[in-house]
Order: sequence, then structure tokens, then C-alpha cells
Amino acid sequence: MIDMKPLYEAVLKGDAATARALTEQALASGMEPITVVKEFMVPAMDEVGRRFECNEYFVPELLLAARAMKAALELVRPLLVKSGVEPQGRVVVGTVRGDLHDIGKNLVAAMLEGGGFEVVDLGVNVTPEKFIEAVKAKNANIVALSALLTTTMPAMRATIEAFKAAGLRDQVKIFVGGAPITQKFADDIGADGYSENAPGAVTLAKVHAARAA
Amino acid sequence: MNTEQLYQQRLARYVTAMRNEKPDCVPIRPFVAEFTAKYAGYTCQQVCHDYNKAFDAAVKTAKDYGWDAVVPNMVYVWTGLAQAAGLRYFGIPGIGIPHTTGFNYIEPPEGEAWMREDEYDELIRDPTAFLYNVWLPRVSTEVSRVGEPSTYRNNLALVKSSMAMLQYFYAFGPQIQRLRTEAGTVSAIAGIFKAPFDILADKLRGYIGLTMDMATQPKKVLAACEALMPHLCHVGLTTADPTKQVPIGFWMHRGCVPFVNPGQFDSHYWPTLKPIVEEFWKHGHQTLFYAEGKWKHHFDTFRELPDRSIVFHCDRDDVFEVHRRLHDKFAISGGIPNVMLSYGKPEEVRDFTRRVLREVAADGGYILDSGAIMQDDTSVENLRVMTDTCREHGVYCSGALLPLTAMPPCDVPASIAQRQQLTGMTGRPAPRVKPGVCLPWEEKVKELPEISGDRDLIRKVWEDIEALGNTYIWQLLLSF
Ligand code: B12
Repeated sequence: MIDMKPLYEAVLKGDAATARALTEQALASGMEPITVVKEFMVPAMDEVGRRFECNEYFVPELLLAARAMKAALELVRPLLVKSGVEPQGRVVVGTVRGDLHDIGKNLVAAMLEGGGFEVVDLGVNVTPEKFIEAVKAKNANIVALSALLTTTMPAMRATIEAFKAAGLRDQVKIFVGGAPITQKFADDIGADGYSENAPGAVTLAKVHAARAA
Repeated sequence: MNTEQLYQQRLARYVTAMRNEKPDCVPIRPFVAEFTAKYAGYTCQQVCHDYNKAFDAAVKTAKDYGWDAVVPNMVYVWTGLAQAAGLRYFGIPGIGIPHTTGFNYIEPPEGEAWMREDEYDELIRDPTAFLYNVWLPRVSTEVSRVGEPSTYRNNLALVKSSMAMLQYFYAFGPQIQRLRTEAGTVSAIAGIFKAPFDILADKLRGYIGLTMDMATQPKKVLAACEALMPHLCHVGLTTADPTKQVPIGFWMHRGCVPFVNPGQFDSHYWPTLKPIVEEFWKHGHQTLFYAEGKWKHHFDTFRELPDRSIVFHCDRDDVFEVHRRLHDKFAISGGIPNVMLSYGKPEEVRDFTRRVLREVAADGGYILDSGAIMQDDTSVENLRVMTDTCREHGVYCSGALLPLTAMPPCDVPASIAQRQQLTGMTGRPAPRVKPGVCLPWEEKVKELPEISGDRDLIRKVWEDIEALGNTYIWQLLLSF
């Protein structure tokens, strides 16, 4: 059994090359893909989130860690799919219609992936219809909406309304975030959760996954 | 009171607050962008494409609300210029993006950043040349790369866009005059400035690219920031208010925690920013720190700057905390949340504005404004409520007894003494090509036959025209 602490450390430090190399080694030595994810990557990303929350890590560290995690995950993901392991949950992520800001949204997507969720990232300027289509196609149970402009906040409401109209509102939890969003606004538009940062999005998704299980 | 008297009164009120003193009442200086279109009956597309309509809208809005100061055109990107230059980083209303919005900045994906990760040395060697040779052809659909054959469209783009820029800039003089004579409103800022680190993120490497560079080649990033310093300082100084009454606008984008970590702020952002702000102040110019997002991690650092050298504008920070931490040194503006102005109830706006007037404006040194620029989502009624609340509750009883003056903040006796002791940009290494010039006279003169007569005259005219070439490229980088 090889020592996997260095993988944890590599993700934490944002060292993508090492993370990838160690993952390769682990898989070659016969470690189960799901073990690599559950025992090392998810805990590492949890720790990244924790450090962000208590101001030890900042967005640059978050970005680097997310990249290291992604580099490792690229090797593992195909194997997971082949072995039929179900993810914690499926999340459709996107920046709402009219809005092109994606730095925060991408972080949210990366942290969710690191948290063991399957993420479908629809990019920016996403219409309510596209969100709905993706949820149907992927059978997703979580939707994460991002908006950075006060002018595009109403598009969040419109998206939630569209889910209602499509009869899908009860099938998904909808989380919202982005600089101008507040808990109060999230409540007003009938979202299921809000967080002011990307690690918070993972917490929301996990709470939901635990409840759904 | 006629408009000129009104103008003089408002100018004095605004400048007094920026001296961090108490005027007769709290000045109102809203940074209204596409809001003006909505208010004045234009579409976002109209004010973007036709700056005369944008000017009309700004004058009408300022006049009807009776504001003390505004930006002459906060929908500052004129699509005529952007299209002439073929700028890829703009979405233009009605062309590819909906005609119902304002202009939209667009950032390329990471791998297609306007400057590549291995181009730092070239930027550092001669930033102006880099912008012309590498950056401009990349951001433009029209301009040919150096070494590639020139084209008809290349030539047209350069001629049209530079003439468009001059046309647009020349239109601002009369617009400022219109604000004064028709609305009695002051032009709120003069000049443009961005921090070296911010401009690297904004228009060169992109935020993600720069963040990666900070991990892989931080020394190069620092050298690039240092190389940009004298040029950005020059642009600020040459576009500033000659009367030193209104501040240089400094748009603070991504230099704050958590976008950078505290170490990066200390090693890169601040050391390449502070000397420039000091240099501005040495010359008598205040800087408006338009602190987008949240900057609370850096309040103590900002306190290193001389008293009155900046006006701190509060976006999403807690304005009451800003007041506690900075008010003794600097005037403060902003702090009314955009979300509230767009979607809040009038009572909320009234209550919050009253609280700000009571707690933040109590001793003077406060200018009322929203946190971020106001687009067409801002409510006409809520802005009316904000304005009326200020006129009703923002009156100082003692302030009114003093004669109001528009004495520039730099002329406060304590400031005069302090300014003389500042280091600013002094002692920093001189760039290879001095700021404000592209092709130095010293090089050009080598190609010319012997010069006789008035050498200085010939040189001066060369350099003045040379400066236009410099203005064009740095303004594209900073303003458009
Ligand atoms: C970078 C930036 C841009 C870049 C975007 C590049 C990109 N690829 O994203 C560019 C230059 C393209 C841009 C364009 C514009 N921008 Co802009 N931009 C910014 C800026 C400087 C930073 C935003 C950012 O990236 N933050 C970094 C990330 C990490 O933070 P974040 O997005 O908030 O995300 C965090 C949390 O909010 C949370 N989160 C985010 N999403 C979600 C989702 C969920 C579900 C959860 C739980 C959490 C969550 O997690 C993240 C990490 O912790 C802000 C000002 C500022 N300093 O905030 C202005 C700002 C947002 N922009 C603004 C404006 C006005 C514009 C333009 C309209 C300007 C123009 N006229 O062109 C255009 C609009 C384009 C469009 N249609 O979207 C204004 C908005 C004002 C308002 N009234 O709302 C701001 C506030 C600047 C200002 N003070 O005036 N912009």
C-alpha cells in the first residue's frame, strides 16, 4: 500500500503535476478509483475550504488547489464511470442570462467537483431553458446559479420560475450566489440556499445530499 | 440663485467635503451610467452608440435631480471608437449582444489572454512598444501584426479610431460646460488611473492568467508592474484637473483580499501603487479610490497615505466600518447598496440613507453615492428618495456659518507641508523610453539632416505630436 498523504498535500498546495503523478501511481498499484477520491481528494478539498473560511487561504490558493484536483480527477473519472460508481449528486452550474462573469462560478464548479459531485457547467449567459434542459438530460438534483450584476439578479428569479412552470421545481434544489446576492434575496426568490463563497456552495450541496440520502 | 451661483456653491460644497471638512450640507455625487438613459427616455443602445445622447441624458438627469457632481458620461465607452479600432473586448449593444443592454466588457478565455505568459520581458523592456506591437493587433480585428503585411483595413482602423478618440475627447469640454451652465453641476472627477497590478489582470493577462503567473513567475509580474508604473503615473498626471479641485479616478478592480492573498498585496499590489498615489498628491492631485468589492483587509495599509491624499469610495464594504477606520484621514463616498437602490423599498432607502447621514456624514467629509456604478436597474424613485433624504437630513447646522470655499484639498496648510516631504516616484529607475513618448526625439533626430534655426521649437512640436501617439494607446488600455 503506497503512502497517499503526499497526494493530499499536493492538492492542498496546488501542485498539479505531483497530484497527477501520484494518482497515476496509486491507480497503477491497484488502488480503487473511488478510494483515491474519497480518502484523499475530497478531504484535501475539504481542508482547502476550511482554510479559505478562516482566512488562511484566498482565491489564488483555491484556484491552484482546484487545478491540482482537476488534474488528478481527469485520470480517475473515466474509471469511476466504467465501474458505475454513483456521484454524491449531480449539479448543473451556470451564470444566469445576460451575465458574463464566470471567475466565481468556475470556482464554485471546481469546489463542487472536488467535493465529489458530478458537475455540468453550462458556462455564462445561460437561459432558463438551458438550465432546464440540462437538468432533464443529466437527471441532476442540484442547480447552482451565479450572478455578479444587479441587472441580472432578476434572471435568477426568472430561472426559478421557469423550473416551477416546467414542473421540475420539486426535483431540484436551487442554490444562488455571486457578489450582489444576499440571503434575503435568495429567500425572496424562493431559492433553497445561498452562500457568499465557493466552499459554502459545497456545504450546501452536501447538506442536501445527506438529506436526500 | 442662477445656475452659475448654484454651480459655485456646489463646487465649494463638494471640494470642502473632499478636504474632509464640513460643508453647508452633504454633497451628492452619484455615478449614474445606463440609469441616465432610462431616466431621460433613451435606450441603452442609444447612449452607447451616440455620445451626444449620452451627454443629453447625463445633463437632464443631473439637472432634474439637482445633484452636486456627476461624471459627464459614465457610459464612457463610445461604440463608434470601439468599432473603428475593432476592439474584441467589447460586446456592443445590438451587435452580437442584445440591443437592450449597455456595452459589455468581455474577457477572453485563459489561453487566449491579450498578453501571453511568456511575453513579460517584452512588456517590461518597453511597455508602450509592447502595446502597439503585440497587444493592439491582438485586441483588434483590424490591426495587422508587426511583420505581417499591412492592409487597407489596418490603415483605416488606425486613422479612424485615433480621429474618433480625439473627436470624443474634444466633446468633453463642451459637455462639462453644459453641465455647468444648464444644470449647475460639477464634473466629478478628472483623469484616469489604474493600479499596475490591476491593469495586468484587466487588459493583459486576465485574472486567472495573472493568478497563475503569481505562482510560477512572481518576479516577472513584479518587474512588469514596476515597468508600468511611470507610464500609468504619467497618464494620471497629464489627465488630472489642472485646478486640483476634483480627484483622479482610480478604478480598483482585483487587488484586494481574497482575489489576491495578503502576501501578494504586500509584495506586488501596494508597493507599485503607493508611490504613484504619493506622486499625484505631491503634484496636488487627490485620488478617488473607487474600491470595487470589499477592501476591509487593507484599511490599515491605506492609512499609510498622507491625510486627505485620497477620497475612499465604499462599494460593498460596511460603510460604517469604513468611517470608523478611515474618516480621521480621508473623506469617504458611497456606501448606499446598489441592490437596495434597484430592488429595495423606498422606506429602506430612506432609513439607510438617514443612518449614513447620521453616522458617516456627521463630521463632514462624506459624499453621498451608491456603492457601484448605476445601470438601468436602479429605480428612479429610490434615487429620488436618496436625494430628497439627503437634502432634508444632510444639512449641517454649524457648517453653514463658515464661508464655503473651493480651495483645493492640497492647499490645506497641513497638506502643503506634508506634500513637500513625500518621496513619490523620486529615485525610481528611469524607463528606457520616457513616459509620454513612443519614438524619442533623440532617436528620430539621428535620421534627420542637420537642424538649424530654433532646435527647441522643432523638438517641441515633434514631442507634442509624439504624445498623441502615446495618449492613443494608453487611453485604449486604460479608458476603453
Ligand atoms: C472581473 C470583473 C469583470 C470581468 C469578468 C471576467 C470573467 N471572466 O468573469 C469583465 C471585465 C468581463 C466584466 C464585465 C462587466 N462588469 Co464586471 N466586474 C468584475 C469584478 C472586478 C470582479 C468579479 C470577480 O471576478 N470576482 C471574483 C470572484 C472569485 O468572486 P465572485 O464572483 O463574487 O464569486 C465568489 C462568491 O460570490 C461565490 N459565488 C459566486 N457564484 C456563486 C454561486 C453559488 C451558487 C454560490 C453558492 C456562491 C457563488 O463564490 C465565489 C468564490 O468564493 C467586479 C468588481 C469586484 N471587485 O467585485 C466587477 C463588477 C461585478 N462588474 C460590474 C459591471 C458593471 C460590469 C459590466 C456591465 C461593465 C461594462 N459596462 O462592460 C460588464 C458586464 C458584462 C456582463 N454582461 O456580464 C459591476 C457591477 C455593478 C452592479 N451594479 O451590479 C462590478 C461590481 C464593478 C463595479 N463596482 O462597478 N467584469
